[in-house]
Amino acid sequence: MVRRMALLAAVAVVTVAGTREIRELRTYRETVVVSEALTVQVPLSTYFGGIKGTVMDAPVYVFDSGVPGGSALILAATHPYEPASPVMAYVVMENIAVTKGKVFVIPRASMSASTLGMLGNAYPAFFRVKTPWGEKKYRIGDRETNPLDQWPDPFTFVHYPSRQNLAYQDSRNLNRTFPGRPDGNLTERTAFAITEMIRRERIDLTIDVHEASLGYPVVSTYVCHQRAEDMCAMASMILEAEQRFKMKTEVSPKTLRGLTHREVGDFTESFAVLMETPEPFIDKFVGPMTEDLLLTGRDEFEQTAAERGLLYADYDIKTGASLDYRVARHLAGAAEIIKQMGEFYPEKRMDVSWPTYAEVMQHGIGYFLHDPATADPRRVFRN
Amino acid sequence: MILLQEVIHQLYFIMAALAALLLLTRLFRRKSRRGLAYDIVYAYAIIPFLLPALHIK
Repeated sequence: MVRRMALLAAVAVVTVAGTREIRELRTYRETVVVSEALTVQVPLSTYFGGIKGTVMDAPVYVFDSGVPGGSALILAATHPYEPASPVMAYVVMENIAVTKGKVFVIPRASMSASTLGMLGNAYPAFFRVKTPWGEKKYRIGDRETNPLDQWPDPFTFVHYPSRQNLAYQDSRNLNRTFPGRPDGNLTERTAFAITEMIRRERIDLTIDVHEASLGYPVVSTYVCHQRAEDMCAMASMILEAEQRFKMKTEVSPKTLRGLTHREVGDFTESFAVLMETPEPFIDKFVGPMTEDLLLTGRDEFEQTAAERGLLYADYDIKTGASLDYRVARHLAGAAEIIKQMGEFYPEKRMDVSWPTYAEVMQHGIGYFLHDPATADPRRVFRN
Repeated sequence: MILLQEVIHQLYFIMAALAALLLLTRLFRRKSRRGLAYDIVYAYAIIPFLLPALHIK
């Protein structure tokens, strides 16, 4: 009896100790000190009750100037393991000023996917950004919805409504399930909630913020629905001329289903744009996937690939592709596409501002993140 | 569809609890295979069924 009780106790200890990191990743909440421009925060389930009470019921932050104009949605962390995406959203939320139009921000579109790591990649659960007042800690996450929240996968995922056959794991990939469906799996219902929000709020521009590996052709790119092609092309040229970083434009392929730049453009009135930065951390041939690689983007294997002409973006290990650089690119990319929407459609003009590319490159992103311990508690939110 | 998913979800927890109870009973009360190795196997096999209690189903 005593032996068996001891064994049972040992098993309980092993279970609790062995799952500590999983539980920490699932329960840790990131803090954000929103700017004074915040009007309201609502749950995503406001737009579709089918996700209420689930981990995917992400908070939506609304920054409304009260002055008629255009509206834009910054949709971040559709794929959480592309960390410049949520960090860009947080920098926007902490520093935004809006004097015309309305901005919606979802910093964690796939909350579930931010609560696990990618099998086989052995990267850490968290990364930290240095600030003048200390460190801010963020989840790295995965690409797909956590199997703890949606399981099992089908043998083949059939996209709705196109009926295109996709890989089985795409049933948990938020950016393969748009426009979503109300009676689908959790990921499809989340996509439906976001699509409903865009429809009901009549959001003029949807900016889906991603990162890409340098071995992937669609890196450093705006991918745009055909209705947004002209404004994307103009924004690309201006970014290259004024900010001095390369940014291509590609039109969303009509046969590539389930992605925001295709389905949001087809199933809503919104201009759909997806942005990609160069992110060595998610390349398949880099060395150890460490927090340092995520923050600096410096990797000798990436350099070798660059020297052999195997990459689709410029790369130099001396400068790498730091998180500061990637977030700065996204901030500039989003600001420019919003500006271009106003140029092409004056009735949709918006006046918004957040840290510029030059400011972030000079000071680093930590400079623009505020200390929740000393901030007005009404402005501190947890995601 | 959503209701059916929720029903299956709850059924999973009920089945996990029943399996854990069965293993627990067998750990303490069994007439054959009473050696240490079997005790370890029974105790170890309980782990997956303890996970739902830690919100890791």
